[in-house]
Amino acid sequence: MSPSPRPELAVDGFPSRRPRWQQLATSADHKDVGRILVTGALGFLFIALIELLLMRLQLLVPENTFLDPVTFNRMLSLYGASAVFFFALPLAFGLFYYVTPLQIGARGTALPRLGQIGAALWIAGAVILYAGFTFTPSEAGVNPLPPLSETAFLSNNGVDAWAASTGLATLGFLFLSINLVATLRTMRAPGLAWRRLPVFAWAAAVSSWLMVAIGPVLLAALTMLMIDRNYDGIFFADGAGGAPLLWQHLSWIFFTGTYMLILIFAFGAIAEIVSAFARKPLFNRTVVMASLAAIAAIGTLAWLQNMLTAPIGIGWMYFGMLMALALIVPFGLVIFNLIATLAGGTLRMRAPLLFAVGAIFAISVGLASEVCHSLVAAAWKVKNTTDATAATHFALIGGSVFGGFAALHYWFPKMTGRTMGENLARISFWTILLGLLLGYVPLFFAGTFEGQVIDAYKYFGDTGVTTYNVISSIGTLVLFVGILLTLLNAIFSREGGAEAGHDPWGGDTLEWFALSPPDPHNFDVLPDVRSPRPLRDIRVAVDNRTRRSEQAAARESQPVA
Amino acid sequence: MAPHSPGTDQIDTLLWIGIAAAAILIVAVTVALLYVVRRFRSERGAEPRQLLSGRRLQFRVGALLTLFAALLFILGIVFTDNAREKPSTGAAGLASLKSEPLKIKATGQQWLWRYDYPNGAFSYYKLVVPADTAVELELLSTDVVHTWNVAELARKADAVPGKTNRVFFTTTDEDSFVGDSATLSGQGYASMRAEVEVVSPDEYEAFVETQKEDIQTAQDRVVELIENGETP
Repeated sequence: MSPSPRPELAVDGFPSRRPRWQQLATSADHKDVGRILVTGALGFLFIALIELLLMRLQLLVPENTFLDPVTFNRMLSLYGASAVFFFALPLAFGLFYYVTPLQIGARGTALPRLGQIGAALWIAGAVILYAGFTFTPSEAGVNPLPPLSETAFLSNNGVDAWAASTGLATLGFLFLSINLVATLRTMRAPGLAWRRLPVFAWAAAVSSWLMVAIGPVLLAALTMLMIDRNYDGIFFADGAGGAPLLWQHLSWIFFTGTYMLILIFAFGAIAEIVSAFARKPLFNRTVVMASLAAIAAIGTLAWLQNMLTAPIGIGWMYFGMLMALALIVPFGLVIFNLIATLAGGTLRMRAPLLFAVGAIFAISVGLASEVCHSLVAAAWKVKNTTDATAATHFALIGGSVFGGFAALHYWFPKMTGRTMGENLARISFWTILLGLLLGYVPLFFAGTFEGQVIDAYKYFGDTGVTTYNVISSIGTLVLFVGILLTLLNAIFSREGGAEAGHDPWGGDTLEWFALSPPDPHNFDVLPDVRSPRPLRDIRVAVDNRTRRSEQAAARESQPVA
Repeated sequence: MAPHSPGTDQIDTLLWIGIAAAAILIVAVTVALLYVVRRFRSERGAEPRQLLSGRRLQFRVGALLTLFAALLFILGIVFTDNAREKPSTGAAGLASLKSEPLKIKATGQQWLWRYDYPNGAFSYYKLVVPADTAVELELLSTDVVHTWNVAELARKADAVPGKTNRVFFTTTDEDSFVGDSATLSGQGYASMRAEVEVVSPDEYEAFVETQKEDIQTAQDRVVELIENGETP
């Protein structure tokens, strides 16, 4: 394909007086902040996987003694925090932060320092979580339910480190979200109405509003927990007027919202990729955009779906079931429109599309499995079994790993100027898919039919789950290798990948109008935006003009009779 | 994990409905994806038709999905209400009860379950109940959140400190049923199992009586030791 002509301004920029790392550490530019978040997130993905592997190694055989229960619980707590707060969320926000200002034709963000502080708070959170190793990490699990997380039961500072760490990270995401909301609100290019916004930028707006809504809920809960632990508070202490269930409500509002946020991010990226690689517009933009907003609202209201065994009234349980089942409609519409966009296209099965298709599959499996956890009486059987582990991992590995890697492969050329290795990407994709299926399908069976419970550091040989767990542990190793391949691919392609140019995929949105990597000010000039696909408009206009001038030239060269 | 009580029968049926619904959704998406990816794969650069969907198709798909969700919601309510129905004691059950279920207090603590029977006897780890008798378990906790979980007999339910959760069940199968606690409660969590032994009503009455006497004897002995100035 011939590169689209674009206005050029020959400026090499000012010579830098400081070393690169200093510049990066002090920069408030959205691209530098975004790169820090994405790089950090991929690093924590590696760490989280090591923790997961250690746990799976312990669960390889019944009554294993590889890890003692305390170490296992610490790995579990670190894994949960690492996977959610230090991989999935920063990957989503990092890409939002890098890409969306480019997509809306902005030369920066509205509140750059706020975003920079957000990233700094996130880093501080990461340091505090892993500084826990110098004393004792939390033993309270993925969601540290009081009273277990109160000082009476876990008196060391692990839970404090967990709470401070996730709190700082959440505050960081909140700052980034406020900046994204302000930027998307005020800095869109002339002509770029909300209805013409790229779906990924819309997903960023929805996710940011969602984080503005749910972030403070977790911060409030964490503050109460800290007061309980350190200042003799009674928020979650029963008998003194406190309520252990209050924590469950607050934390599940945040975690359910986060689950939705990760899927909204993934679907935003997949929508862009599907449309670019099928060379078709989204089947129905309005419905996809409205559905993503509906997922944010309804999904967060479905928090009670996680509390169906708690002592709450049956009416609340039915409310949770109603909200959870209502999600079938927006999720179904998004997936329908994504597949319908592929239909009739000329699909180039490059790495981003491959990962995007894998993401749609894995997310669908994860979401469909949640049906059993939403029907109240069925949830009374399968809740807190490994069936839940498998469902959550399918949806979130689908969203963060498949969806996140699809986005990474798609925007990597924009961020570095080079494409990621295609063959390695393919090998990595199939390895991850195999690992996911081997690692988590057996857990569906172990949980649903044998009732194996979550979070336990061992299981017994007489419960019939040994085979499932052996396969699952091997699958997790395969998953680890597959993900490692993409991480290595990213590291080596950063310097050694093929030169990409400003628009390697023939994209339709404004980020492909900027250089790869973009100048600090993103754009010298901007094209007029008259549709959701401004770059395609340019290509069509250029084609038409070329054809007209060729026709004119052909006419002129005709011999006059 | 076959159901052994009327409540878990309903739970299992609803679970199978959920599994069927999930299978329909997964198969639909997977088949559509595979078909589309194989059928429209093309490395050639031709621009395809720029198809856009009208409103009517979207409404139809949306309506179909809404119907699907509504059907599941209704089935969910019907079977959940059935599963919640309080069982009644059968003819072969404990005769001393009238229409009331047999009330037993189950208290979770790190890391075992204690069961208090109506006559004042109590037992640890193992719950003994009479067959064909409606049992009401009052779930309490003295420390952290525990989940009482014997999937063959009854629903999972959390024991939360300061709150009472209730579980009803009845079964005619004289057998032993085991389950693991299902909420992380600390170091001993993995070994915190709940065991229910279902025996005939006569055996049950004998058990609680002996248990009460044994406890009384043990307590008397402790009192005696203390009175003699020894450490029990």
